[in-house]
Amino acid sequence: MIELRGVTLTYPNGTRALDDIDLEIGKADFVFLVGHSGTGKSSLLKLLYREAIPDSGEVMVDGIRVDKLRRGKIAALRRNIGVVFQDYKLLTHKTVWENVAFALQVTGARSKDVMRQVPRVLDLVGLSHKSRMLPNELSGGEQQRAAIARALVNNPKILLCDEPTGNLDPSNTTEIIELLQRINLKGTTVLVATHNQAVVDRMRRRVVRLENGRILHDDERGYYFRGLGQSPVLSG
Amino acid sequence: MDWGRVQFFLGEVFSNFTRNAAMQFTAIGTVAVTIVMLGTFLYVRETLATFGQGILKQIEIAVYLNDNMTDTQAKALAASLAKDERIASARYVPRAEGLKEMRGRLGRDFDTSLLTANPLPNAFRVTVRNVDDVPKVAATITKLHGVAKVDYAADTVTKLLRAADVIGRVGLAMIGLLVLTTAIIIANTIRLTVFARRREIAIMQLVGATNMYIRMPFIAEGIVAGVIGAAVALVVLAVAQMQIVPKLASTLQFVPFHVNELQLTGELLLVGAAVGLLSSWFSVGRYLRA
Repeated sequence: MIELRGVTLTYPNGTRALDDIDLEIGKADFVFLVGHSGTGKSSLLKLLYREAIPDSGEVMVDGIRVDKLRRGKIAALRRNIGVVFQDYKLLTHKTVWENVAFALQVTGARSKDVMRQVPRVLDLVGLSHKSRMLPNELSGGEQQRAAIARALVNNPKILLCDEPTGNLDPSNTTEIIELLQRINLKGTTVLVATHNQAVVDRMRRRVVRLENGRILHDDERGYYFRGLGQSPVLSG
Repeated sequence: MDWGRVQFFLGEVFSNFTRNAAMQFTAIGTVAVTIVMLGTFLYVRETLATFGQGILKQIEIAVYLNDNMTDTQAKALAASLAKDERIASARYVPRAEGLKEMRGRLGRDFDTSLLTANPLPNAFRVTVRNVDDVPKVAATITKLHGVAKVDYAADTVTKLLRAADVIGRVGLAMIGLLVLTTAIIIANTIRLTVFARRREIAIMQLVGATNMYIRMPFIAEGIVAGVIGAAVALVVLAVAQMQIVPKLASTLQFVPFHVNELQLTGELLLVGAAVGLLSSWFSVGRYLRA
């Protein structure tokens, strides 16, 4: 589903964000992308939804060379990728319902589809009863759930989350991560960039660790720090 | 027709439009001023053009013939006039008819019965297809055998029209500058709206709205500003026409005030819409590419 080959990305100021990255993520995988702030996690996600273009290397998403994509095709790519951010990026003057519907309406969806899809995703994230509320009337966890609903309303194959729990307390964090897992079980590829060690170590999913723009390790059922998990792997 | 979709779009345009009302007011005002100037200019120009053409059509070259000219010579002269492609018509006016015409023209101001003999020579009255040819045609005719004198008033009129043309060009250039200013002000207004809505735009881009779709509400906003401005200008112009033209018409009776108002209205509305469309198009386009 996602494939990076020899990808290098340099910021305009000359620092190297990503250095010769090779990474493959299969359909319906759940992957944590971990590392300190500024190690290139967000940059890697940006390459996938074509917010950034690599200096060299190939970026493939769902069989499409994203790095070679023409400007006119970017919109089509992004309908296939949902993105969730730490700061939710909800429109404050629109209700939850309107925020979610907006993502469909601006792609020119028919109102019939809006009426069908919006309740579906609101139900999925458990916000049906708060659909008429404005974002600032909700808790952080609820706002993030609304943002996830918006990311999912176009039925994307991939969900990218950039520090989705960065602003949340532990119980809300657990809720959001469990929601992402449920979404993953329905067949959506989920890629979560985080530096929340507790979450990563508890989930025991694939962990790709970035450091200084390079992949330090890539483990199935891994820990935030290789071999330094809260419950070290007992090799059998 | 998907009514929900239309409603959403109109809602977006409306919220754009009301978001910076003060700036919209400026934009509409500038459009209105520009269109009033343009409208006045076009009105005056069309009136002058009709007036000028009317005069020019009446311009004749008077070709006075020698008194001792024979009939054969006169016929030969008529034939060579008829051959000239630049000449529209050549009418022979015998001296008796010339006197009658003069009598009719001068009326009671001049008592022709005082004349003991007809002082007029036989003449041709020549009209030319293209007014610009009048001097050349006159020069050719002067050289013909049997022609005593050639006379025409076109020279003065063409000079006047040339002057009017130059003034018209200068006016058009100034209006061009004004239109440019208007475009810049609308573009700035739209840029403010774009800035106010940068979060929405970022989200639209994120969820895969096409640039065309993102552009549309802003372009609609630009067109609305342009058309409202033009409409305000048209009201001003209509009032001005009702107030001023009748007074002018009574003083300047010889000037025909016939302007195709419907066409002018259409043109001015179109100019307003076009200025709004183009300036907003470029304004948003620059943002989306950045």
